[in-house]
Amino acid sequence: MAAVDLDGVSVRFGPIHAVRDVSVHVADGAFFTFLGPSGCGKTTLLRAVSGFVEPSAGAIRIGGQDMTGIGPHKRPTALVFQNLALFPLMPVWQNIAFALEVRGVGRAARRKRADELLELIAMPGHGDRMCHELSGGQRQRVAVARALAAKPAVLLLDEPLSALDRNLREHMRGELRAIQRRVGVTFIYITHDQGEALAMSDQVAVMRQGAVLQVADARTLYDRPHSAFVASFVGENNVFPGTVTALDSNYATVATKAGLLRAKPDEKLRVGDAALVFVRPEAIRFAPSEDVENRMAATVAASAFEGNLWRVFLELAGDLRVTATRVHAEAGSDGEDAGRVVIGFSARRAVALPEGPLAAE
Amino acid sequence: MNSGPATPPGTFAWPRAFFARYGAGLGASVLVLVGFWILALVLVPQLAMADFSFRPNLPPTEQGGPRDVYTLEHYEYLVRGGAGGEGEYNTVDLAVLGRTLLAALFVAAVDLAICYPIAFLLAQSAHGGFARLMMVLLVVPFWLNEILRAFAFRILFGTSGLVNDVLLGVGAVEEPMDFFRDNVALYSGLTYAFVLLMVFPLYNALEHLDKSQIEAARDMGASWLRVHWRVVIPFAKPGISSGCAMVFMLSAGALATPQILGGPSSLWFTQIIYQWFNTGNNWPRGSAYAIALLISALVLVLVAMRVFKVRLRDLGK
Amino acid sequence: MTSTRFAGIFLTAFVVLFFCYLLGPLVVMAVTAFNSSAFPRVAPFECFSVEWFGVLANDVRLVDGLANSVYIGIGVVLLSVPIGMAGALFLTRIPDRAKPWYYTVAVSPILIPGVVLGISTLVFWDRLGRMFGAGDESVFYDGMFLTIVGQTTFVAAYCLLVFMARLQRFDATQEEAALDLGATPGQSFRKVLLPFLKPAIASSGVLAFLASFENYNTTVFTSLTQETLVTVVASKVRHGINPSISALAVAIVALTLAGAVVYEILRRREAGTGAKAAAGRNVVSSKLGNPALALFLLVCVAGIGTVYFAGTVGVEECKATVQAEKRRRAQERIDALEKTLQDGAASAAPEAPANPGETIFAPRNLQPATRRPTDEAAPTQGEGRQTNNPFSPDDLAPNGDSPGGQTSGQTGD
Repeated sequence: MAAVDLDGVSVRFGPIHAVRDVSVHVADGAFFTFLGPSGCGKTTLLRAVSGFVEPSAGAIRIGGQDMTGIGPHKRPTALVFQNLALFPLMPVWQNIAFALEVRGVGRAARRKRADELLELIAMPGHGDRMCHELSGGQRQRVAVARALAAKPAVLLLDEPLSALDRNLREHMRGELRAIQRRVGVTFIYITHDQGEALAMSDQVAVMRQGAVLQVADARTLYDRPHSAFVASFVGENNVFPGTVTALDSNYATVATKAGLLRAKPDEKLRVGDAALVFVRPEAIRFAPSEDVENRMAATVAASAFEGNLWRVFLELAGDLRVTATRVHAEAGSDGEDAGRVVIGFSARRAVALPEGPLAAE
Repeated sequence: MNSGPATPPGTFAWPRAFFARYGAGLGASVLVLVGFWILALVLVPQLAMADFSFRPNLPPTEQGGPRDVYTLEHYEYLVRGGAGGEGEYNTVDLAVLGRTLLAALFVAAVDLAICYPIAFLLAQSAHGGFARLMMVLLVVPFWLNEILRAFAFRILFGTSGLVNDVLLGVGAVEEPMDFFRDNVALYSGLTYAFVLLMVFPLYNALEHLDKSQIEAARDMGASWLRVHWRVVIPFAKPGISSGCAMVFMLSAGALATPQILGGPSSLWFTQIIYQWFNTGNNWPRGSAYAIALLISALVLVLVAMRVFKVRLRDLGK
Repeated sequence: MTSTRFAGIFLTAFVVLFFCYLLGPLVVMAVTAFNSSAFPRVAPFECFSVEWFGVLANDVRLVDGLANSVYIGIGVVLLSVPIGMAGALFLTRIPDRAKPWYYTVAVSPILIPGVVLGISTLVFWDRLGRMFGAGDESVFYDGMFLTIVGQTTFVAAYCLLVFMARLQRFDATQEEAALDLGATPGQSFRKVLLPFLKPAIASSGVLAFLASFENYNTTVFTSLTQETLVTVVASKVRHGINPSISALAVAIVALTLAGAVVYEILRRREAGTGAKAAAGRNVVSSKLGNPALALFLLVCVAGIGTVYFAGTVGVEECKATVQAEKRRRAQERIDALEKTLQDGAASAAPEAPANPGETIFAPRNLQPATRRPTDEAAPTQGEGRQTNNPFSPDDLAPNGDSPGGQTSGQTGD
């Protein structure tokens, strides 16, 4: 068990700056996730921690010890590969006990440890199967068990759920989290799936173009993003571009095409700055009461029934488009919101952030 | 995002990455084995032979002595003939070289023509047991070496061989035919010898052709001929070119089959090389002839590749 | 519709003809192996006999050649398989820009004529030997050694291709996983990559042995005074043909078939207990599955039947009858021949017991008579050569095992 410190880590491949000056503290025993779109450098960062890539600058410390110049096979880390990289020619138990085998542990002890780990991942009695006989979720867990066999201080997971179908993926989130709680090892997890990141992690670092934009727990990240990119990448968000016209102790007033909007401001904002107001679809109310600060008229363009909720697509003055969600039980008779409606949202549920790049679709 | 180590840039980075991946012991073994092969078995012997071909034919005691100087005499001999042949050309040897290359081209063309339908059938239409049976029948003859295969043709085409027996039997000919003098036996034997070398590259290329491409072309109203001309053959081009290159080179360099099946008027160029070594006892001249064969055959292959717009990396796939 | 049908019929006919071409000569040769006639022929089929197999087993030169071939084959396997593997591993770990160059050089021995490889090997080691002042008894002039290295030159390239094909299906992250789990590079190679390469090691080993075993073009130069099975057979065939060669071919096919079947069974057993990793295995070998087994059984049945048949039918009795018949016919022909002697000897009685060979197969007849007059520049001239025979003199050494060996002289042209 150990904390991991990244201290100004950069990785360059020739002209490509894959990781830029990343400094992050991962607490001992935490489930820490790097979240970002593909190509943001998170895999490179993980490979730097595991020792397959040498940082061009900065230092990586595991349990306080500098890892510079230490090869992957000598680091207290274990990596769960994106494609799992199970050894197809070995039965499950030999896969799991591989780390012990290369350390010269006797066969009986290896088998015993493999059986313990199979117990841990809720697959007792599967030791003599071959990997190709297992289901996708089972292979997943075997890969985790194999990585845990050597008792690493840090477990690194490289999008291990991406190959699974949706239901299994959601199930495996819970499994992984449960395994992590049981063994107490520090998990560093990378993914481009923000649902995965939010559901499992103690802390999430959002990355864009090699740099870490924000490190926070899931709720803070969702409710209080620090940048337009994080606001638009994590979860769904509606955006109103505008200019800050006033700032008071709690709220900013932003002039947008939908009128003056009140929202919680980021501390960097000043009066006169270009700003973006973000509001989540579930924060938008239909026919809001008088105490809701931000109100506007809208036209329902379409609505889609998604089972647990309705998704309503609205058009506002000034060519703005807004999506709102309504929980199914709450919806009007068959959710037939149509024609002109009045919508609104509370200033507490909206954030005003400095203008910046948004996450692409 | 996916696997694969990031290849560090720069030429000098790779040995480090190489040893990091294989370790000192294994890495060194790999380098030693590859180095021994490429240098001591492939490159340097070819260069030694080239060097040797520019030396006069001297007894061992005089090699390295004052008379051991570079000379073009062996190449001159190939082109101009021996002493007294001033102004003349060595028509005999040059004709043999030309005929060998032409005949090898012919063999490659015939092999392509007869193997293409078979490879196409095998790759696209045949399934299960039938495909496996075809595969076995294709492979079985090639468990025998070239000499025994040539021997089989010799039995077949002899004056009292089966072919003549049949021809005489049905009254097609009055006298037994001399298949050796007419080179029928030689060309059939060579064509036969390299069938497999043509079928497999073609098969490998055609196997990856998506059937729906053919169906799409058929669906759009293309005739079978056009489907092959526009879809299948362009797709199989790498296979066709490597098959043809291999068959051509191996036919041109064949020795056993011409020795066994060759007729009185069809000496193969390799046989002349063989004579210089074994009975002519003139190794440098044999080397020069070998280089002449190698270079002229390679030039032909390269020209053909240029004409048909085939890249080198497509060969050997 | 009708054109499709026509094409179908045409294609079927083509396939049938193709396989007749492919297998016909072998069937004919196999039949001659069991015909007691001293000249390999199908018709007239005199007596069913396995005597030619006996001739084979008692031929010292052949058996010695076989032993040499096996030694050389083992040497080539031991050298080529590691080189091929190292070559393929090397290819995966060099900069992309260098790959085409390396690949071209490494694969070139496949395209270079075997004759050239043999000569270059001979010349190179000869020069090396001179450099070290090595004597004739040294390794530089040892036919076995030279043949092994000469063959390895191109056999290693075959092995390289086999290993490359296998490595293409290797998931390189497995190696990284092993390293990450604490394996040293050596352990990762031994425990992860090597087991994965095992099928390729086996098949490249078999391939290397077969390629070495049947090589002629390179061997004929590098073997010097040594003889391999193939060079022995070649010189026998050039001297004149007899059915013991057919018998040899039958024996080789049978042995190879047996080997292939054993190999296939071993491979399948391994695949059965092994992983689906073998699922993407060579399509060619997978298509070689069941029929190989069926063929093998067929051959077994045929072989047992043969022995039974040969044992029960009175071979000697049959031969005596045929012999008497032949003598009678030969006499008739000789009588006839005497009358038409000036017509030339081309139609000489081929079945005369004293002269079973056919004149057309006489080695001397392979020399172009038409070539002589214009042949001033040919290598046959001025180099102290006694004849214009294209074959080396020692090939003309008398050969007791070759009934068809001696020729009736330069007739017929």
